Amino acid sequence: MWESQVDGRKLTFHLAGINNQNFIMRDEETGSWWQQVSGEALHGPLKGKRLTQVYNDEISFAVFKREHPQGRVLRPDEKVQAKYEAANWEEEYAKFPVVTPMKADDKIAPRTLMAGIVVNGKAMAYPVNDLQKQRLILDNVGGQPIFVVMSDDDKSVRAFESTVDGRKLELLVQAEAKPLQLVDAETATTWDFSGAAVSGALAGKQLTRIQVLKDYWFDWKIYHPDTAVYALGAR
Amino acid sequence: MNNTAKRGWLWLAMITTTLIAVTVIAIPTFTIMPFKAQSATGVEWSYHLRRWSPLVTVLAALMFIALALKLWRGARWYGRAAMFVLFVPLAAVTWFARQNHFEWMFNPLPNAAYAAISETKFVADNEMVMTVALNDEVAAYPVRQMAYHHVVNDVVGGKPITATY
Repeated sequence: MWESQVDGRKLTFHLAGINNQNFIMRDEETGSWWQQVSGEALHGPLKGKRLTQVYNDEISFAVFKREHPQGRVLRPDEKVQAKYEAANWEEEYAKFPVVTPMKADDKIAPRTLMAGIVVNGKAMAYPVNDLQKQRLILDNVGGQPIFVVMSDDDKSVRAFESTVDGRKLELLVQAEAKPLQLVDAETATTWDFSGAAVSGALAGKQLTRIQVLKDYWFDWKIYHPDTAVYALGAR
Repeated sequence: MNNTAKRGWLWLAMITTTLIAVTVIAIPTFTIMPFKAQSATGVEWSYHLRRWSPLVTVLAALMFIALALKLWRGARWYGRAAMFVLFVPLAAVTWFARQNHFEWMFNPLPNAAYAAISETKFVADNEMVMTVALNDEVAAYPVRQMAYHHVVNDVVGGKPITATY
């Protein structure tokens, strides 16, 4: 998700092409071409400019409703509704061919779904499958203690800095809690999936979120060539 | 130059004009096709060709018409028919240069509409949404819709944003 303004000028974006299975947008105002995943202007008068990223979540509608009962939801366009993906679109997409070049020694299947983050310039990819198994992954990326958590819907992923006022939290998943909650052993504070401390010594604090991009491995790797990949149990 | 030779050159110019216009459209259309690998050079060429094709195709069409007018008198019936046959692809690419065919495949949403959660019956609880919260305003874009439209321009909390998927 991007800010539409570049140097104070509001741009209106359109779908305009495909570059290695990631789409190109064209802005109406200058005609420049932009890469969707990186927000970088590839060609045209604004070549070299980058769009400013806006933090966004990719969560289930159930989580959205719970957290933001006042939110608004994009309505389907009735004229083209029949062309929307079926509810099982994720399985269908997994069967699509990958045509971008991959290294032969890459052991990860190109359409492995990753939750990717970048912290202090270091890119890290967490296989969504592993997050479903492990629910909570404590890690250190770019010198910053972080954690990645999968909600109990098995779909919504968020990442946070695991430090509060310079203190590092040792988090655990609260057994049997639905919706998911985390507890940190040291201060006995309970945290919800939005990163808010709901009870305990740190109640009222909010953890800093880290942007997560759910992406296929082949695509993540193109735009983050130096990425590391989390391996289950390898920490 | 005798008349036959001159007419030959005019015919060659007319055919070349048509070929140039068709090529200017065909290269980017086939280069940036889905399910195909693209090179950086291919994308760059496609950009420049797409950018100039509206002008190039119109100039080609005008040139074609000027040549056709010169050749019309004195042309046999099959010569005149050939002019029409040649003009069909030229007219088609001149029109196509002004179209965004990606938006034929995936209709844009210039006037996106929104529903309150209480009226949202079109998204199931387990479906994914992309969400953004800015200055106390929160918006959700269902992934199933985004996977089709790909781009939605919106203003959230007073800030113009572009949701992409």
